[in-house]
Order: sequence, then structure tokens, then C-alpha cells
Amino acid sequence: MKTLAAILALAAALSAQDTPPPAPATEPVLTGWVDLGYRWDTGIGGSLDTYRSIINLGSGPKFLGTDFTLADPKHRWFDTIQVRADSWGDEPSSSLHVEAKKSGVYDFNADYRDFAYFNFLPSYADPLFGQGIVLNEQSFDTRRKIAALSLDIRPGHWWTPYFGWDHDSSSGTGATVFVTDGNNYPVPNTLRDSTDLYRGGVRFEKPHFHVTLEEGGTVFKSDQSLFQNPGSTNYGNFSTPVFGQTLYLNSLLADYGIGGSSAYSKGLLTANATSWLDIFGQFLYSQPNSNVHYQQTDAGNLYLQSQILFYSSEQTLINAASQQPHTTGSLGAEIRPMKRLRIVQAWLTDRLHDAGSAASAQTLISAGTSIPLSSLIASTLVSNYNQESVDILYDASSKLTMRGGYRYVWGNAEYAFLPPAGLVSSDQEQLRQNVGLGSVTYRPAQKISVTGEVEGASSSGVYFRTSLYNYQKVRAQVHYQPLPSLSVSGDFTLLDNQNPLAGTNYDYSSYQESVSLYWAPQGSKIFDIQGTYTRSDLKSNIGYLDPGDLSQQVSRYRDNANTGSALIDLNWPKGKRFAPKLAMGGSFFISSGSRPTSYYQPEMKLWLPFGKHVSWFSEWRYYGYGEAFTLYEGFRTHLVTTGVRFTP
Amino acid sequence: MCQLTRSLVLILAVVVGTARAALPPGYAGSDTCKICHEDIYNGLAKTPHHQLAADAKRGWQGRECEACHGPGQAHTEGPSADNIQNPAKLSAAAADKICLTCHLNQPTQVGRLESSHAHNQISCTACHKVHASEPLVVRKADAVNKQCGSCHLNAWAQFQRPFHHKLPEGDMTCVDCHNPHGTIRPAMLQSFAANDPGCFKCHGDKRGPFTFEHAPVRFEGCQACHEPHGSANPRMLTRADVRFVCLECHANLPNSPVRVMGVVPPSFHDLRSPVYQNCTVCHQKIHGSHVDRNLLK
Repeated sequence: MKTLAAILALAAALSAQDTPPPAPATEPVLTGWVDLGYRWDTGIGGSLDTYRSIINLGSGPKFLGTDFTLADPKHRWFDTIQVRADSWGDEPSSSLHVEAKKSGVYDFNADYRDFAYFNFLPSYADPLFGQGIVLNEQSFDTRRKIAALSLDIRPGHWWTPYFGWDHDSSSGTGATVFVTDGNNYPVPNTLRDSTDLYRGGVRFEKPHFHVTLEEGGTVFKSDQSLFQNPGSTNYGNFSTPVFGQTLYLNSLLADYGIGGSSAYSKGLLTANATSWLDIFGQFLYSQPNSNVHYQQTDAGNLYLQSQILFYSSEQTLINAASQQPHTTGSLGAEIRPMKRLRIVQAWLTDRLHDAGSAASAQTLISAGTSIPLSSLIASTLVSNYNQESVDILYDASSKLTMRGGYRYVWGNAEYAFLPPAGLVSSDQEQLRQNVGLGSVTYRPAQKISVTGEVEGASSSGVYFRTSLYNYQKVRAQVHYQPLPSLSVSGDFTLLDNQNPLAGTNYDYSSYQESVSLYWAPQGSKIFDIQGTYTRSDLKSNIGYLDPGDLSQQVSRYRDNANTGSALIDLNWPKGKRFAPKLAMGGSFFISSGSRPTSYYQPEMKLWLPFGKHVSWFSEWRYYGYGEAFTLYEGFRTHLVTTGVRFTP
Repeated sequence: MCQLTRSLVLILAVVVGTARAALPPGYAGSDTCKICHEDIYNGLAKTPHHQLAADAKRGWQGRECEACHGPGQAHTEGPSADNIQNPAKLSAAAADKICLTCHLNQPTQVGRLESSHAHNQISCTACHKVHASEPLVVRKADAVNKQCGSCHLNAWAQFQRPFHHKLPEGDMTCVDCHNPHGTIRPAMLQSFAANDPGCFKCHGDKRGPFTFEHAPVRFEGCQACHEPHGSANPRMLTRADVRFVCLECHANLPNSPVRVMGVVPPSFHDLRSPVYQNCTVCHQKIHGSHVDRNLLK
């Protein structure tokens, strides 16, 4: 009947062609919303520093967000402009995104994010905690700003030039350590770095092939400073005298003047040479380099172990430079010799060669005597990685696909210092790994899918003791949608890795199993529910040598966790003019093992429309964090936010 | 009634058809599809795919529905699910083939064949909703994360741990770090400046190159020491105590027959002293140093 009505309506429309259609809109149309509000916290119970390290939301007026689209029916300067913004007003993270486009003419994107990056957890790095001094000697309080602009010209045409700029910068203060022989001294520092990336290229897209060519470059700058003002005495982390003398620091100024740049080239290719052959490949080359001018002036009662020398002041200049040519290439093909059979062959190489040198000139003042020292150290690091793989995929039917594959990974790595010094001045290692893969995807009906995947590897050489050596990975996923309004998913992953080499005896095992549910009866008219629960377990045992006495020890790490998140949306039945909405849910994380932790984040949000263009909302959140071994770092707080949404 | 409906569809198809340029044999034209599937047609009209209707060069002018669903003449003559192609019911490979008819030769596809999505039969339509009940390409952070998290349940659970990248807060998205179409890097990680790990897009101060590199950063990446999705350990480290992150690798005697990198530290490191329980107190330039070979400054 519905179809018939549609036909009759269309027939009526066709028969009345002389009836003028309604006049289309000619002025730009604005749709979207703006959220303004205010947030209160009820006070932070427990550690404010941990709260700031993890949550960091504060009280005050907030521009909570906006999302609007401006569409121009006449398509004069733009088709649409979309603007999204979140969390402005002294928030730990803020974002702004703008998209403007005009079909076939341009496509412009701008993205800006600002993160407050704070970290102060005394349990992380506080050698003086036992003396009652609470200080994270690797803490920081910085802001990181990330911006990106991109402009595509003539999008959708067979050749499309494009340009882009990416920016990343950080600035702030922190605490770190000035390390000398015999003692190290916690000192404040300032941090400032920035990276700018400029790029431009052109894409050629034809029916049977595509090529992208891009050139770009980066400019990097970092100016970290460590300081201690003259007139104070810093006795450092060690209070034990050296040869009867107490070591201390009276003043320090150390500046890292780091600059760098890089140029890169990128070439991408896809082609379908014939109906049964697709080809793809990439060539990527970059050559970043760095130049450093480090200056350091310090005074106190300091010690040089190599000459068993005490000195009262020091000046150090270090000029260093490094470069890192990096070449990556890949080539592959999908071959379809039969309708149901696909063979994917791929080859990859990644070659990174790093070379650097540092020349230092040092002047020590000891008992009124000036002692010059100098050194020149060169370093190299080489990584050559290669991978060859073949995958065979067979569609046994439209419901069943099987895959088998093999991957061979090989490479070599080495590093060296000249002149040699210390325990090791050069090392090299080979990588040899054979990996077998298999998977099955079964979809007996449109609403059910089951995927199982296994991967196993055997190695005769890896770079590190903790690398994947002889490992097995298993993954299974199930998705079932018994009703249009109800879907259930399950996910299971397992990783076992063993390195039986003498002295290593690495035994690692982890698994995660998850289930999720989404139920939205009647199209969420009254309520919908979504929830996920995950159980995970990780066990790791690996032998190591205690650096104090070189005795054999075992590092054991355990992490058994239960994680859940859920959200229930309740909607007032339709028909009421100002129908409220209520959402409640949250997440929890509870773990036992090497770092028993609990972390709760329940939340509730109420919406109440006050008319067509205004609605009021109020939100409550609770954050509770606890860690069994460092109870003093737990926190809990309630946050209440209330605000108004304006909809034009 | 069914017969009447069918007859009227045919009549209207003729009316609409004669009012338009001739269609290739077997095709019905989108205006005919719209008669019964108006909601879907109107939804499609809001997506970039609608440009097929107007762009003569692409060859689907006036039959944009049939670009994916195949010739529909038989379906108009006898409406049935059996005589029209429905990509949602095809195997992933067959559905992807339809999409890639137009989209294969685009830069996003360069890494596709190496992506785990392609290997595991995750079709394009698993993420891209063509008929606009949802956006064709989701852009908003919470929508992106929700979409990825609906399959990657384990990864989403890791983000509920206290130390995590800010995805649940909506400050980041999964595609900030991963390219769902595939890349040359493991786990489909994004790249920065051609071939560096995408991590450096936001952590530029860790990129280097350094005069004195810390080898694992280059050979195994950030995940050698960090759990990038989330961890119960500060700084998203893989171990609760920093010293074990380090000592599990640095435990070989010099010139040991065990052929892996990382020698034991000199023996003056007494782990009973709190100074030595976090190696990065002194070895603060753990990601690489410009001036000190022991990564002390």
C-alpha cells in the first residue's frame, strides 16, 4: 500500500508539471548547536597531583562544545562549512575542527588541539621519599598544541594538487635530574619544543592506475633548560660522602639548543593492470638531521670519578650532529587466477641508518686550577628490516572464506660507538622469523559472522630478550544480530610467547575475552542499552641479572583485570512537548597482580528541552582511583556540570 | 493489489524512462528505484555518491543506484530480493569488488592489501554506510571511536584503564594512530614525515635523530616499553616498576653467547637504593640523547 501511495504521488507530480515547485532556499542555512555551561567539583579527596595527572578537569564556566554546518544552496564560495569545537575554557584538552568544501574546487580542513600534559606521581620517581621528601623527579606541567591544515584543490578530478601543514609544540616546566659522578641533583627545568611539517603533492587518479607524488619537510626546535639559582645548596639524591667529602650543587645553568630539519619524498602507486591483477607499491624516503649546541655551567663541590678529582665549577660545551637517512619500499600484488581465489604477495623493506657525533670541551676549576678536558664520540645505528609474505584467500562459498599465509621476516641491526668505552661499544644482531597464518570467516546469515585467526612463529634470531620469539596468536570474533534492535558481539585474543634461550627463559602469556551487547528496541524510542565487559589476564616471567651482584633473578609481572562499561539512554515517550532524556552508565576497571588498581567512572546526564531552540542539561560524574601499593596516590571526586544547548 | 502495484511500477518506469535519455539494456534508472525506495534514495542524495547522478564522465549518470546494485530492470518487473544485487548480503570480497571498481585507484588503497581488515574479510561497508542513515565517513571523535570499538572490544577496554591516550574523552580518535585502510607499518600504524612512526606527529620531541640512540625505539617502536592503548602503570609502561622495563632487556653479560642486544648495567647499581629503582631518574633521555652516550643528559 505504501508503494502504491508513492506511485500515485509521483504520478500526480508528473501530471502537474506546470505547477511551480516551492522556491528553494537561496541564503546560507545554518544548522547545529552550541553548549555553554558551568562545572563544579566537590573537592578532590586524596591526591590532587594524581587527579591532575589522570583527569585534570576543573571548575568554572565552560564553552562545552559546538557542532554546526553552514550550507550555501547557491554554492558561491562554499558548499558547506562544518565547525566542531569541544571543551574550551581552561580545560585539560580543547579542540577545534573546521571543514570547508566546494565540490570539484577545493576541500579544506583545519584541526587544532590543545592538551594540558601534567604528570606528578611520586611513586614513579622519588628517590627521596624515604627521607620524607615527596617529589617526582621526572614530573612535568606542560601544554601541547597540535595543529593541522590541509587543502586539496580540484578534488574529484583526475589530478589533484594538495598542500598541508602540521604543527606540534610543547612548552612548560618540570623537574628533572642533573647527573654528575657520585651524585645527582633534582632541579627544575623548562621545556619548549616545536615541530612543523610542510608538504605538497599531486594525486593522479585514472580508471586503471593511481599515482601520488609528495614532497615535504620538517623543521624542529627544542630548547630545554635546567637550572638552579646561585645562593642555594642542593645536596642531591645521595647523602653518602665520597672520600669523606659531601657533594653538593650551588648553581646550574644547562641549555640544550637543538635544531633539526628533514626533507622527505613519497611515491604511492595502485594499478589494476588486468581484470585479475592489482598492483600496489610505495617508495618513501626521509633524511632527518639534528644539530645541537649544549652549554652547561655549574658550581658546587663536584666530583670526577675517572680522575678521582673534586672540583668547584665546570663549563661544558658540546656540539653534536646526527643524520638518519631512512628508506622504505613496498611492492605487492593481488592475483585472482580464479573467481574464488585470491593470492596476495607483498614485499617490504625498511632501512634506517643513523650516524652521529658529539664533540665536547670541558673546563673544570679545581683548587684554583683550570683543567681542560675534551672528547669526540661518534656513533652509528643501523636497522635493515625486510618482510616477504604471501596470503591465499579462498571463497569456498559466499558464506565461507578461508585464508592461509606465510611471512618471512629477516633483517640485521647494529650499533657502535667510537672510541669504545664502557661495557659494550658495539653490538649486532640478526632477525630471522618464519610466521604461518590461517583464518576462517564464516557468515551463515547476514546477521551472523564468525572469524577465527591463528598465527604462529618460530625464530632463529631476534634483537631483544623481550621480543616475540616463538609465539602463537589466536583471535576469534563473533557478531550476532538476532533482532534488528539487538546485537551481541564476542572477542577473544590470546598471545603466548616463549624465548627458551639460556639466561632468558622468557615465558609470556596474555588473553582477553570480551562480550558486548547493544539493544535498542523500537529504534531507541523509549530506551537503549549498550554494554561491554572484558576479562583479561597477563603473566610474564623472564630471567634477569641483578645489577648489584649479578645473581640470577626472575622478573614476574601479573595483571588480572575486569573492565566494564555501560550506558543506558532513557527517552520520554513521544507525544510530550518537552520530552526529557536521561543517560546513565560509566565504566570500571579493577585489577589485581603487580599493580592492583581500581578506577571507577560512573556518570549520569539529564536533558530537558525548554522549547524548540533551547534545552537544559545537567551531568554528574564521579572519578575514583585507588592503587593498593601506593594508597597515598588515590583520589576521588564528584563533578557536576550544568549548561544550556542552543539550537538555531 | 500486488499485481496492480507491479503494473503501475511498469507504467511509471516507462513514463520515467521515455522522459530520460536511453539507458543501457537491463538498467532501470535511479528515478525508477526512487519510486519504491524513496527514503534510501534521499539518503544517498546527501552523500558524495550522489555526484554519480550528475557526473557524465563516471558513466553512471541517471543510474547511480545501479552502480552498486547492478542492473535493476528485472527487479522493477518483478520486485524481489533475488533479482537485485545487495552488497550487504555478498561476501566481503565481492562487496569490496563493487566499491573498488571506482575506489581502487586512490591513495587510501595503497596499503589495503596489507591491512588486517582486508585479510579478515572486513568489507568497506562494515565502516562506510552508503545510504546515509549514518555518515559515509564518520568524522566526529566519539563516532569514530564507537565504530572501531564495536569490533575491537579488547582495545576499548584497555582505554578504560587509568593511564591512557585520551580516546574515551573524545580528544583523540583511533585513526589518529591507525589507518584502517592499511599501512606498511605493523598494526596499521600511521606514518609521520613519510616513513617515521605516526607517534611522532604528536611526540615530535622523541623523533630525533639522536646522536646516541636507544636502539629499541628504532628497532621495535614505542610499544617495546609502552602500552599505547592504556595501562594500570604510570606513563603507560608495560611494567609496574620502571626498573623491570629496563632490566628485562639489560640482562646479558658482555660477550655472552646469548645473541640478543642489551648488556647488564655496571654493578654499582644497587637496586635496594631507591635512587636505582627508577632508571630514568638518571637515564632521563631514555628515548635517545643528543649529547650523552649513557642517555644521562
